[in-house]
Amino acid sequence: MDILYLLIPLSVVLALLIGCAFWWSVTSGQFDDLEGPAHRIISDDDSPV
Amino acid sequence: MRCYHCGERNPPGAVWLLTIDGAERGFCCAGCRAVAQTIRAAGLESFYTRRTSVAQRPGEDDEWLQHAIAAEAAGLIAHIDASHDEISLLLEGIRCGACVWIIENYLQRLPGVAEVDVNFATRRARVRWDPRTLQIPELLRAIANIGYRAYPYDPRRREALARRESRALLSRMAIALLAMMQVMMFAVPAYMSTDGVEREYQILLDWASLVLTLPVVFYSATPFFFGAWHDLRSRRLGMDVPVALGVAAAFAASAWATVTRHGDIYFDSVTMFVALLLVARWFELRARQKAGDAIEAMARELPQTAERLPGFPAARNAETIAAAKLVVGDVIRIDTAAPVPADGEILEGRSSVEEALLTGESWPRVKAPGDKVLAGSINRESPLIVRVTAAGGSTALAALSRLVERAASQKPRIGRLADGVAGWFVSALLMVAAGAALIWWHIDASRALLITFAVLVVSCPCALSLATPAALAAAAGALGRRKILAVRADAMEALSRVTHVVLDKTGTLTTGRVQLVDVTTLRQQDAAQCLSLVTALEQGSVHPIALALRDAGAAARVATNVVAVTGCGVEGTIAGRRYRCGHPEWAGRIHTMPLPSAAESIDVEHTVVALADEHGWVAWMTFGDAMRPSARALVDSLHKLGIEVSLVSGDRSVTARYVAEAVGIDEYHGDATPEDKRAFIRALQSRGATVAMVGDGVNDAPGLAQADVSLTLGSAATLTQWTADVVVLGSDLGCVSTAIQTARRTFRVIRQNLAWAFGYNAIAIPLAATGHVSPLAASLGMSISSFIVVANALRLARRDNSPRAQQAARARLLAAS
Repeated sequence: MDILYLLIPLSVVLALLIGCAFWWSVTSGQFDDLEGPAHRIISDDDSPV
Repeated sequence: MRCYHCGERNPPGAVWLLTIDGAERGFCCAGCRAVAQTIRAAGLESFYTRRTSVAQRPGEDDEWLQHAIAAEAAGLIAHIDASHDEISLLLEGIRCGACVWIIENYLQRLPGVAEVDVNFATRRARVRWDPRTLQIPELLRAIANIGYRAYPYDPRRREALARRESRALLSRMAIALLAMMQVMMFAVPAYMSTDGVEREYQILLDWASLVLTLPVVFYSATPFFFGAWHDLRSRRLGMDVPVALGVAAAFAASAWATVTRHGDIYFDSVTMFVALLLVARWFELRARQKAGDAIEAMARELPQTAERLPGFPAARNAETIAAAKLVVGDVIRIDTAAPVPADGEILEGRSSVEEALLTGESWPRVKAPGDKVLAGSINRESPLIVRVTAAGGSTALAALSRLVERAASQKPRIGRLADGVAGWFVSALLMVAAGAALIWWHIDASRALLITFAVLVVSCPCALSLATPAALAAAAGALGRRKILAVRADAMEALSRVTHVVLDKTGTLTTGRVQLVDVTTLRQQDAAQCLSLVTALEQGSVHPIALALRDAGAAARVATNVVAVTGCGVEGTIAGRRYRCGHPEWAGRIHTMPLPSAAESIDVEHTVVALADEHGWVAWMTFGDAMRPSARALVDSLHKLGIEVSLVSGDRSVTARYVAEAVGIDEYHGDATPEDKRAFIRALQSRGATVAMVGDGVNDAPGLAQADVSLTLGSAATLTQWTADVVVLGSDLGCVSTAIQTARRTFRVIRQNLAWAFGYNAIAIPLAATGHVSPLAASLGMSISSFIVVANALRLARRDNSPRAQQAARARLLAAS
């Protein structure tokens, strides 16, 4: 069971890493618009606005 | 020499100079000079003579001045009279009802402030002050002094603020949820094992939980701590106080137990409590932002720049300037598919203009030279040249958004009541918690902390401080999407109690405009052909009938030799045939045939226009003040809601009866003066009825004022004349019953939430105080309860997707086309 001394700290580090990654993705605006990009990719309008 | 702006010593050989008040002034740096330049450009040079102490260097202080200047330039400040200015402020840093209280009270004490109204749900404040004793920068600075930031309300800034707010909350919530899952995982062994986890592994698990709880307490839960701190500083109790106390106490006790290996550990309860509470707040925030969006989308549509033609009509070269700099009298060009930057009158060009934003009319209207265009509408077809008649803060759109703004920054009575009750609730709760702690200390000291924590955590004031504002905001958003604007904050409450609706005829049940009602053809030609003949004859006329024909939109043919005979009609030649169109007797003289039998069935309410050629009658057209297509549906749906409907009209009794019978109203009164309408409503009220009056706002003012709640239909162009509580943009009468239904639903939801909160707290708090609730169960109970009330409030924002609603929507579309 000594492996727990590796696995539990590892899970803590992983959780913190995921938390940081998520924090970064939110602050860089990736969650601001969850619908727009899905529509943008199928709209085929190349004319300048 | 010292800097004229900030008072710092100027560096030797300074070159930053600027002329202010007629003298050359020296500045210590480019920043100071830039600020001084802005002040001079805004015509606020008197700032330097009026100020009592020198300004700080560009930074905090000048930020407020900049905001003030920008607000003045954008027309965000309403000058009510010489001693009153009014502005809407957007507040940053409001967390709970107590923040509202402190801002209101603090500002009220400032000399020169006449009125302050802070709305928690919209994060906005309406301040009315005396510009002779108080300047806006000082007002903004005063708010900054007590720890909030206020900006003159500007839709674009609101968007940025909303995004920042939702990003912060989203990442706090996500991190708390992630930590919660992992800490729960670490807690499982302790819950599952029968004889306890081996000591060495339990220590490891506890330390791992502690590490993961740290970000939850010191990052995710910070809004609760700040909120509680603000509450305490303002000597008020908001819902954040018990939450912060509970989280802090449980975390401190658990951390202590982890280090000393003595006592209970509740990291799982702490993380779950914070995470689920943040989830509830996240939903509340989403609802609030969505509600604001529907209405504010309007103001965002305004373009930033305008194409000005300085040399018009001699030269036509355009220059691009900021839309805010347009002044009355400027001539601008509006390109195809571009939004109109200011109200104006068309000088040149014909195009169709979409005014859905302002009039609720979804079809573009054809505009020709001399017609008015409104800021915010969209030019669809071809470029227009327009002379500006109103720009910036004086456009119809600005008036509309100010009105909406005013309603949004007022707090309805029910909201104030909920704030007050929440304060009492929390102080009572803290007393119960303190009492429980004291008593359990004597009974069983080891359980005292656990029980106090459970009491603090299990209580749920959310129905008061979270769900009531959320319900009101969600309802306003749902109505806003249908272009129904509650202009007075208490209008929703009055609407929910309505038992009697009084309708006006002209402009309400009918469109108030002459329209083509019917075409009877007397030959083989179909109605469209007949209409195109008539339209051709009436082409040049400005008679109401001719305008109504143009609205009917038939394709015109070419008529020659057109002669208009005043009071009779027009005569002209189309494709070699002579036609007469007008009064039947006059038109009949062209062929001397008797009046056809169709003439008999025409009633008194309509004007008849006959079309004839030399061989006989061609067609009959009836024109009248057409009934709105949704009138009958409105009366039916009001009856279904159990609401009595009456018609009170200034028209002749015959007309009133005709209209009342057509739409199914039993009680009608004709020949009513505005004063009669008022008396009629007063009589209803004295019998105990709550009366809603629907009128056109201009002629019905006394009646609208007497009614408990008043509604008008119309467009933003005439907005300023209205005195109504609820404004329906557009021509759909059905919105009246939608508004009543939504108001009823809103108050039903608020009552349900209060009932739930009362029942839940009445059971949960005594249980917790007597030691029957574990911290984990308490966290779960409170979170689920907040979730229930917030989710219940959010039902109001949901689009109505029931089959009946879809059917109604389809009917409306058909009627519109």
